[in-house]
Amino acid sequence: MTSDSKLESTIDKILNQTEIENLSSLKKSFEESLEILTKSQSSLEEDYDRIIDEGKKEAEKIEKQLIGSSDLESRNKQILLVEDSIKKVFEKAIEKIRSSIHNDNYPKLMESLLEESINALGTSDVIISTNSKDKEVVQGLLSKFSGAELSTDSIDCLGGVEVKSMDGSMTFTNTIDSKIDRMKPLIRKDIATKFGIGS
Amino acid sequence: MSKQGGVQYSKIAEIKGPLVVVDDVTNAAFDELVEIQTTDGEKRLGKVLEVGNGKAIVQVFEGTTGLSVAGTRAKFVGKVMELPVSDQLLGRVFDGLGRPKDGLPDPIADKFLDINGEPMNPEQRDYPNDFIQTGVSVIDGMLTLVRGQKLPIFSGSGMSHNILAAQIARQASVVGTKDEFAVVFAAIGVQYSESEYFRRSLEESGALKRSVLFLNLADDPAIERIITPRVALTTAEYLAYDLGMHVLVILTDMTNYAEALREISAAREEVPGRKGYPGYLYTDLSTIYERAGRLKGRKGSVTQMPILTMPSDDITHPIPDLTGYITEGQIVLGRDLFRQGIYPPVNILMSLSRIMKDGIGEGSTRADHQEVSNQNYDAYSRAQEVRALAGIVGKGGLTGVDLKYLEFGDDFEKKFLSQDLDENRTIDETLALQWNAVSLLPKNELTKVKDKYIEQYYKER
Repeated sequence: MTSDSKLESTIDKILNQTEIENLSSLKKSFEESLEILTKSQSSLEEDYDRIIDEGKKEAEKIEKQLIGSSDLESRNKQILLVEDSIKKVFEKAIEKIRSSIHNDNYPKLMESLLEESINALGTSDVIISTNSKDKEVVQGLLSKFSGAELSTDSIDCLGGVEVKSMDGSMTFTNTIDSKIDRMKPLIRKDIATKFGIGS
Repeated sequence: MSKQGGVQYSKIAEIKGPLVVVDDVTNAAFDELVEIQTTDGEKRLGKVLEVGNGKAIVQVFEGTTGLSVAGTRAKFVGKVMELPVSDQLLGRVFDGLGRPKDGLPDPIADKFLDINGEPMNPEQRDYPNDFIQTGVSVIDGMLTLVRGQKLPIFSGSGMSHNILAAQIARQASVVGTKDEFAVVFAAIGVQYSESEYFRRSLEESGALKRSVLFLNLADDPAIERIITPRVALTTAEYLAYDLGMHVLVILTDMTNYAEALREISAAREEVPGRKGYPGYLYTDLSTIYERAGRLKGRKGSVTQMPILTMPSDDITHPIPDLTGYITEGQIVLGRDLFRQGIYPPVNILMSLSRIMKDGIGEGSTRADHQEVSNQNYDAYSRAQEVRALAGIVGKGGLTGVDLKYLEFGDDFEKKFLSQDLDENRTIDETLALQWNAVSLLPKNELTKVKDKYIEQYYKER
């Protein structure tokens, strides 16, 4: 064998070995890439699901937020509108009371208000205050309540009386205005029901 | 509501702290509502604490600052304090006495209810069950809140209890039912910034629609704080028992309530009990906490989550101590966890939800819930022991299993316990995190869980 052929055979051997090594390395790399791809696919899917889930959650949150705030806004506007209407009804009702209260039955009403007040105070020695219009009516009723006096001062009210014990330590306000004030929450409910709010 | 107005008295014998003593009173009743009129016509509310010998002692909710013996008048209204209630309360913000604070008018009342509530007939009480999802893993997973339960949060000054309270208020819901859910939030003596946080937090999340807020601020009269939890609970009872809703009531901070009670007691010169609190602190607290529950034949429920800050983080202080006697467990926030920046800093080893077992499991949450929770509890407890040991002998002196527990402890705090402020986790997510945590341990260490659940959920890490 010549030295050339020996060299050629060695080169062939090296080439073969290198080819085998390269092929095996390529195969290994291919397998590794496949593995990485498979793994990353599942993690990609997980990431995808997570992102979609988070997005869904966020969207639900924003939806809830938008619906909640718009519902509240419209409800609040309704409350203000109803309140405005209730106020108007009250104003009209008070006007009506003011113009119609002084009828034939008024002295009787005043008498019952006085009686109620004296009972609440537990004494008939009282000073009665009323508005300037009603002084005459009260004066006419004084004979029925011994010990009661009419105050020279007037109070500002639609009608009714304010009764004080002689020593001034107890007061019972029994005016039409105070009665309306006390009943206001119940009247508001009745008015609102007429507007279709509440039961 | 009484139609008969009351008599106004002008003989004020004495003004003492938050109390006004009215003389020559002939016809007043215990707990009767009183309108105090100042010399300049301003009206304040109060209630009768004591009557007898022609005197009535009136507790003024808005404080007695500016009142003088001469010129002040007290009108006895002839009824106890009532709250106008209707479904219109939802979405509204009120002050500590139940007056609108949102610029809207008084709600149209469906009825007027005594703020002291009606005592629940014990025979009519139904046992609390069914799960309330708060979206906070540590609560849902390990300290489950059950409908009708009273589960307080014991915190310390400066800790994140109010942030947690707001998160619960935003996220809480009942799962697996179409029943309506509402949150009644009573802030008692909180700072303005905190009250604004609560309000904004509920507004921005859209949860205000199903909430009612009662805000008593730190600069509001302390005595008003006596009323705030009561108006909140009256609202809750109406929503629950009249409208059939499941209502979660959050009361924060009950320590401020107890302080107000102490103030009144001192003004009345009563014999002080522990730390100056009145001897009837337990009885008084029970009149609030016992207003939680469910009633047979009624659809709704009232669940309470009172929050209190323990002075000097002292759990033996009378307020947490007596609260613990009445309530069904406690969630304790830990200073160490808080300092580490963990939110929510719940110290699970000191916490307990006594009736958790009745609200979880198959049909409510998941069959493995109790067991995986027990396993996490057990492992975290062991992790704490190992941490202490490592502090003495160093990590090098620990066994392989010990090191696993050490790793579990860190992982548990980082992934399960810690949560973002706006992270609302479902119960399935919470349970998955619990399994993920215990999957750090070798299978043979899972002694609290049945094999079938280990096969199903354990994924070795």
